[in-house]
Amino acid sequence: MPGADPDPGASRAVAVTGLGAVSPLGWNLASLWEGLRSGRTAVGPFDRFHHSGHRTHIAAQVDLTAEPERPQNKTRMTVNDRFAVAAAREAVARSEIDLGGCRGRTGVYFGSSTGGMLESETYLEALLAAVARGRPPTSSLLASQQNNGPGDAVARDLGIGGPVQTISAACASGAMAIGDAIVAVRRGEVDVAIAGGSDSLCRLTYAGFNALRAVDERPCRPFRADRAGLSLGEGAAAVILEPLERALARGARPLALAAGEAATCDAHHMTSPHPEGLGAAEAIRGALAGARLDPSEIDFVNAHGTGTLLNDAAECAAFAAVFGDRAPDLPVTSTKSLVGHLLGSAGALEAVATILCLLHGEVHPMPDDGTSDPGIKLRLVLGRPLRLARARHALSTSLAFGGANAALVFTRHGDRDPAR
Amino acid sequence: MSETLAIRLRIKHLLVETLHLEGSDPSKIVDDAPLFGEGLGLDSVDALELVVALEKEFGVRIQNHEVGREAFASVSALATFIDGRLAAAGNPDAGS
Amino acid sequence: MPRSCSHATEIGTLRAETVVTGLGTIGPCGHGREALAAALAAGKPVVVEVDRGAGLHREGGARLAALVKERDVSRWVPAAAARRMSFPSKLAVAAARMALAEAGIGATEAGGPRVGVYLSTTYGPGLFTEQLLRQILLEGAEAAQPYYFSECVANASAAQLAIAIGARGPNVTLTQRESGPLLAVARGAQAVREGRVDLALAGAVEEITPLLHALLDRFGALARKEGALAEMPRPFDRRRDGFLAGEGATLLVLEREDAARARGARALARVAWSGAAFDATATASDWGDGHAPLAAALRAGLDEVPDGAAGVGAVVSGASGARRGDRIEARVLRAAWGEARLPPVLVPKAVTGEYGGGILAPGLLALEGAQFGPTPGFGEPDPAAGVTPHRGGARPIPSRVLLTGLASGGAAAWLVLERAS
Repeated sequence: MPGADPDPGASRAVAVTGLGAVSPLGWNLASLWEGLRSGRTAVGPFDRFHHSGHRTHIAAQVDLTAEPERPQNKTRMTVNDRFAVAAAREAVARSEIDLGGCRGRTGVYFGSSTGGMLESETYLEALLAAVARGRPPTSSLLASQQNNGPGDAVARDLGIGGPVQTISAACASGAMAIGDAIVAVRRGEVDVAIAGGSDSLCRLTYAGFNALRAVDERPCRPFRADRAGLSLGEGAAAVILEPLERALARGARPLALAAGEAATCDAHHMTSPHPEGLGAAEAIRGALAGARLDPSEIDFVNAHGTGTLLNDAAECAAFAAVFGDRAPDLPVTSTKSLVGHLLGSAGALEAVATILCLLHGEVHPMPDDGTSDPGIKLRLVLGRPLRLARARHALSTSLAFGGANAALVFTRHGDRDPAR
Repeated sequence: MSETLAIRLRIKHLLVETLHLEGSDPSKIVDDAPLFGEGLGLDSVDALELVVALEKEFGVRIQNHEVGREAFASVSALATFIDGRLAAAGNPDAGS
Repeated sequence: MPRSCSHATEIGTLRAETVVTGLGTIGPCGHGREALAAALAAGKPVVVEVDRGAGLHREGGARLAALVKERDVSRWVPAAAARRMSFPSKLAVAAARMALAEAGIGATEAGGPRVGVYLSTTYGPGLFTEQLLRQILLEGAEAAQPYYFSECVANASAAQLAIAIGARGPNVTLTQRESGPLLAVARGAQAVREGRVDLALAGAVEEITPLLHALLDRFGALARKEGALAEMPRPFDRRRDGFLAGEGATLLVLEREDAARARGARALARVAWSGAAFDATATASDWGDGHAPLAAALRAGLDEVPDGAAGVGAVVSGASGARRGDRIEARVLRAAWGEARLPPVLVPKAVTGEYGGGILAPGLLALEGAQFGPTPGFGEPDPAAGVTPHRGGARPIPSRVLLTGLASGGAAAWLVLERAS
């Protein structure tokens, strides 16, 4: 099975014991869940940077004025770093883990595609202007531009001593980071993994996606007939992963099991997915195989669902290929219609959203916007949450720019068949 | 040279420069040959790249839904499309 | 006690080890291993003057970089396929094809769902990113060109590589700065060992543009002329003041040892161990001083390898001339070896520069017995660091080498390669 753990039976079960999120819906998990349940989009006017010269004028923005706790060295941190640190702190706090004894056995696995780009753009603008005027630039902060900024900031903030890595794989970064963390915990490389992603709005991605004509002037409508592109968002999300035995031994409450993960690549085109979603289908099958689940056991899907014509069609084809006759009845939602596309942290935020749905026994809706596309035969959750009190297994998918695909399977704790 | 021929030649030069068709001679690009799929074998990103270049070169604004296969099917089709936009805008570049 | 990842595991009754069967490298020294070996033997950095025409450089700052001079890679990447590729993408595809050729793997066997890509980069395609930003900032957002955006993301080169060879397994881009290249090889090797892929293309790619060079210099990160001292990186030297910026691409072909032998391929090296840790005392752009926990992690890892630290015949160090970077590197090595004498410490980045994946290829060459000349730039030991790098001259061919990669920002990675024949 491509891109998946071929011998999961020999591995240890991995539990999710903490969740944290910073999103356009607020600086914590509770505001995320409340907002997701509401089905009201957070995509709207924004002021992270001047966008009058851009083709579109909406996005889902985090309210910086509502930042709860200022990290000590905030002036040296990018906005992205601050999102990441806040999400990781919340996840650690909620997991009630005492990192004190195991910092050397704790790793950080993060994803980001923008790093400190927002601040670097401001610096470059000032530098170019100064050069044009023949004057030296003012000594403003040149924040770390590289994508490892947020993950490293989390590791420094929490005093981590184990492996730290950042994956930058565009829209699949967050999911791949979590996937890597699951594997690292399973193979015993670390006892605890803090995994997630962080991305901020910035001019480069906003103008870039607009140059590709991939951004909708209106809030995106994934899988709908009149979908016209994506909406951009920003934020961070983090999960705490540890071996299930260890979690139970320390009296933690496992929120879910990280049951399966897989990553593949379309190897097809730099910006368009494979039209039949072949790579995505292989990733889904790989994650299912790792979780030792049949496709029929998945109760709902948190799709990548960006709202672009091509992504949604390809993803739908992938679902049809994997789930067959069951695909039209499988509840599908997309977080992106509510919080926008968080790029490098999308996969992480969506993993968190998927676990929240499992915990609460309901699938969050998308806004009831747009009309049904006859070519998209999926059971979309629209307007109101779908009550699924007995939901046990859920799938979260990410299909990235450049062709990388990632799939994660989560299982509500208490339902895992020990015989698997 | 007529206005229409001038537009076609500008488009051909733009194709070669913008799309990095190194070694290609603009004058050898056939007016009615398909640009996408077969022929020059360009793809969707090439189309978008071309749109940015056309907007800059001719000062027209091309909407998302216009970035489709009909207007962009060949050099001739593109020239007709541009011509129409320039005429509508009362632009002296437009052919008669 | 931190435990890292031994690469020899038992799956059932099979012993699954990962070997390197191909090396492709393009850098400032030229194309291929021979050009690199010659430069390492000569012990001289291969540098050029950076174009300062855009006026972004500061007065009195660094002027040199280790850049790829021969930029034509059409032998490996036909012009039609390369039409929209950034320079790093072309380098990555070229180096990968070079490595596959050495491994004796043809085009049809190099693709499929069981082939993964594990690539490290720090800045991604810098030139395209800069050009896109210039358009947005100076001409307006609507001047942004789609080509630049699709090719400026950090994972662009890994994606292009996957398309070029049809690699449909995991496509991983790591952006962990100076430790990235070793992490990429470690992740690729793990994927092979754990049966996730049959073939992994792992390595690093970097492009150094005039803007990047100017910014690194403004950070005070680069070696520069100081009074009578010429501009050059001086690893471990008391007078060091920064590193040499370098670009290039190095890709390794990794596969299971039993599979390699079964098809008659020659194993260049076996991946014996990889480890990673983090120094939380570092700042976002510099190294810290938490050498003791890092040394403990390294030591614990070496203890898992047969003969431990004593079995390491040479250290291929990631030291680069960075003031605090070389200091913590030296302290980690000294502490990990304790009372025992360090083996020869080779410092290839003094020749190849930092960021272009500078130690991967030299690491393999060292294992093959390549001779390294005196470490350029080193003249006066630094008592605060305490490591004297290789001074030239013959050394015994090591059967095991340790590659080190301590990153600014705090990450650390290590790799032990051993002879496989």
